[in-house]
Amino acid sequence: MDTSTGIQEPFDLIRLSLSERVFVKLRGDRELTGILHAYDGHMNLILSDVEETIMLVDGMDGAPSGQGVVNVAKRKMEMLFVRGDGVILVSPPSRT
Amino acid sequence: MDDSPPPPEATPPPPPPVTSGSPTDFLKNVVGKRVVVRLTSGVDYRGVLSCLDGYMNIALEQTEEHVNGTVTNRYGDAFIRGNNVLYISAAEPL
Repeated sequence: MDTSTGIQEPFDLIRLSLSERVFVKLRGDRELTGILHAYDGHMNLILSDVEETIMLVDGMDGAPSGQGVVNVAKRKMEMLFVRGDGVILVSPPSRT
Repeated sequence: MDDSPPPPEATPPPPPPVTSGSPTDFLKNVVGKRVVVRLTSGVDYRGVLSCLDGYMNIALEQTEEHVNGTVTNRYGDAFIRGNNVLYISAAEPL
């Protein structure tokens, strides 16, 4: 398939990111960055040294849609289990 | 006397079939091509499809995240969990 990177199936991308810092986009306007320690076929993840970013959109009355104020909350966790069904996207560090 | 029938009308060859094949054939054909992946949330991911599996999990390269038509993120590589996928559209001729 992809001879340059040796990726035959999408999970290879995740396998190559083990022990690396990854970006994870979750349902509910949440994002994580953390070091990937383990994953499985559900995309359950074990991350360490995690920072979670939560986007909270306060829709202002009378403002056109998409014009609300975006508040960003962040928090840190040492070790995190992520249930796979919340995962939308995982991006490994760029391999350049 | 020439009794042979007149030559048949010159008909142009039929256009290449673009609608044949199964969904699986389409997916095989778009691997390595530029695609647009739309999620059920309405977010689009444009990039080169490096591979996909039976769950429609997708690996994209040179990925741009588009929300409401504007680029909101870029990823060198991206794994998209298949349950979020609404469609995969070819963004270049197959």
